[in-house]
Amino acid sequence: MQYVIVGIGGQGILFSSRVLGHIALSKGERVVGSEVHGMAQRGGSVISHFKVGDYNSPMVKAKEADVLLAFDQNEAVRNLHFLKQGGQVVVNTHEASFVDNPSLKSWLGERDAKLRTILGYDILKKHMGGRFLFLNVLILGAMCGAGVGSVSIDEVREAVRTLAPARFVEDNIRAVDLGYEGTR
Amino acid sequence: MSTKAILLGNEAIARGVIEAGCEVAAGYPGTPSSEIIPAIAKWADELGTRTVVEWGANEKVAFEMAAAASFAGKRSCAVMKQVGLNVAADPFMSVAHFQLKGGFLLISADDPGPHSSQTEQDSRFFAMFAKIPCFDPSTAVEAKEMVFDAFDLSERHNVIVMLRPSVRVDHCRQDVELKDVIDISRPASFEKDPKRWVCLPSSVKVNHPQLNAKREAVREEFETKFAKYNFEVPAKGKAKLGIIAAGVSFSIVTDILKSWGVDNVSILKIGTPHPLPLKMVEDFISRHEDVLILEETYPVIEMQLNDRTGVKGRWNGWVPGAGELLPEVIEEILCKVTGRKAPEGASPKLKKAMEELNITPRRPMLCPGCPHRASFFAIRQTLPKAIYPSDIGCYTLGVNQGMVDSVVDMGASITQASGLYMAYKVDGIEQPIVASIGDSTFFHMGLPGLASAVYNKHVFVLAILDNNLTAMTGGQSNPGIGDKLRDGDTGRKVDIEGAVKGCGVKWVKTTGAYDIAGSRALVKEAWEHARTHEEPTVIIFRHPCMLLKEKQAVVPVMVDPEKCIGCKFCINYFNCPGLVFDEKLKKAYIDERFCVKCGVCINVCPHGAILGTEGEEA
Repeated sequence: MQYVIVGIGGQGILFSSRVLGHIALSKGERVVGSEVHGMAQRGGSVISHFKVGDYNSPMVKAKEADVLLAFDQNEAVRNLHFLKQGGQVVVNTHEASFVDNPSLKSWLGERDAKLRTILGYDILKKHMGGRFLFLNVLILGAMCGAGVGSVSIDEVREAVRTLAPARFVEDNIRAVDLGYEGTR
Repeated sequence: MSTKAILLGNEAIARGVIEAGCEVAAGYPGTPSSEIIPAIAKWADELGTRTVVEWGANEKVAFEMAAAASFAGKRSCAVMKQVGLNVAADPFMSVAHFQLKGGFLLISADDPGPHSSQTEQDSRFFAMFAKIPCFDPSTAVEAKEMVFDAFDLSERHNVIVMLRPSVRVDHCRQDVELKDVIDISRPASFEKDPKRWVCLPSSVKVNHPQLNAKREAVREEFETKFAKYNFEVPAKGKAKLGIIAAGVSFSIVTDILKSWGVDNVSILKIGTPHPLPLKMVEDFISRHEDVLILEETYPVIEMQLNDRTGVKGRWNGWVPGAGELLPEVIEEILCKVTGRKAPEGASPKLKKAMEELNITPRRPMLCPGCPHRASFFAIRQTLPKAIYPSDIGCYTLGVNQGMVDSVVDMGASITQASGLYMAYKVDGIEQPIVASIGDSTFFHMGLPGLASAVYNKHVFVLAILDNNLTAMTGGQSNPGIGDKLRDGDTGRKVDIEGAVKGCGVKWVKTTGAYDIAGSRALVKEAWEHARTHEEPTVIIFRHPCMLLKEKQAVVPVMVDPEKCIGCKFCINYFNCPGLVFDEKLKKAYIDERFCVKCGVCINVCPHGAILGTEGEEA
């Protein structure tokens, strides 16, 4: 199972791959992935690769990702080339209308790709006082809600409980659940 | 007992350093190496070792500290990024000749691409230049294992050994086995022996031939005793094509061939690129009709061959001479070499969608609320005709605000200001110059340039942007902060203003970075003083880095669409992720996804269109 997680520096995407890693390890699976640190973390495009199974290379090759998790819709479109035939995309959206673009629709059709969106900013504004830092766990919940990826919502909850800083555990779980409900 | 954990490559390397009984570690942060030193401290705390682990003010300082600990018999290591080794090149080249005592590991992390560097130079070349052994890991697991062997090799041959992880090893995440610490602790004992520890020309006459002999002895070991790093992955049946692969390229090429289901290619994996196990490599070449060499970033293996005319590599253009060997790049090379149909390039439909949706890659920007943005704005408003040499750090991103005209390397903001002053002085022209440098970079290599500028009476203003953090690399400490790495270890804060005065600067003043009006008045005064007194002046702009998340006033803002005339002044001069331009409405607006409500932009709009909305915020 190969994941590509994309977003903008500062959105906390590294935590999402840590959660996936924790789950894989608890199941005794081999994992390898690649992260971005340094200059790009300052608001630039960031990408994280994550592979579960018998792989050596930390990077996902174009057209091989099973799942593309996007914290930002523009970054989602920019990285769609990673998606394999029949791959799945979960996107945090700020303007949902982008999915109506005919070229994009047609490309997704050709690739037999499923794309699910979640209005993460709106949800966090409405339910969590606009604390957008919780996007990283909200999107994991959304992934499970959409039935995408290789982890269950219970596994995500459990891993987030273990990895999140103690005083933010409940908020994190709430964001996971909001994401889950948002795409179910 | 051993357990498994998912670690960042750099955490795995650090774990190896502690498990191998290293007692002194020093480094300077730089992507992709930055996480190693803090992780060494973390593991040392967790495992209760006595290891002393510290940041040096720069890589030369760190290297020399670690080297001297080896003179005293301790296992030691120095950690830096590839361009950091340029800074430490002087002691590196000298110490390579020494008959060392404690095992001495140099970790130099490379950045092919580059992702966060000013060059994509290959540290393995430096190992070859210094004639020392080098390990080149393909995975985090292997990097950790190599740390043990590097210390062992270093102690057996009394020579520095380099571990060269590239960014994809440093920043990979992998399941890694954790082991216990080997207890090799021995008392520090420096034995006085000038012939051994003083690098006189007369010693070089002995040490250089000895270094050559060490290299050949290590080469012999690499030929025969390091099968875990140098091995052949044989093809099924007779292979026409043989691939020699090192570093991450090995991991990538094996994954690609596996996904293709191709098994008639044999691979020679080289984990010790210098000194190259030449017999092994030449034997492999002789057994294959066609040979491809994949290594990053320079042709280090290739250039050590006695005859490379029969191989496909960088010398004959089969492998690109610049850039990272990404999976897609290696796939394309493999397709060319094997005559396989190349995969289709970028989809025209996706390209069209991106054009229609107006999607471009996001460039890195200073964080919302970053104090540097406000400092740069104040300087440019006051001295718009100045030349702005700058430096390495987050503030290099001031290029987006037209506030970074030239950057060379750490500390060069000051020396460039000097050089520019000298150039205009020749023509008798008074040219305003404002250099900018961060707090950590100032201590790293700013001090010698400043002393030189005072001595030579160079006229410019130096802006020291003190955000109380080494921020670009993720938030490390430095002498200006005073925090140290291990639990219970305390340092002392070195005062920037005192250091500036100590260099002989007569005019130095401090301003709050968010106080744009106050900063503007100081910039004006500083330049007036510099030109009338013929000397450099220094302004210290202070405000904590946003990464520190210190409490500050919350000032929600809005753009009044009635007052906004769409001039884009705020976008071009202030350049904040929280302040964006609506191309349809031709108005600026606050993007609440990113705005941190610092309120600084209220003072930016010349038309008064950015307003505080006090009272609306809970």
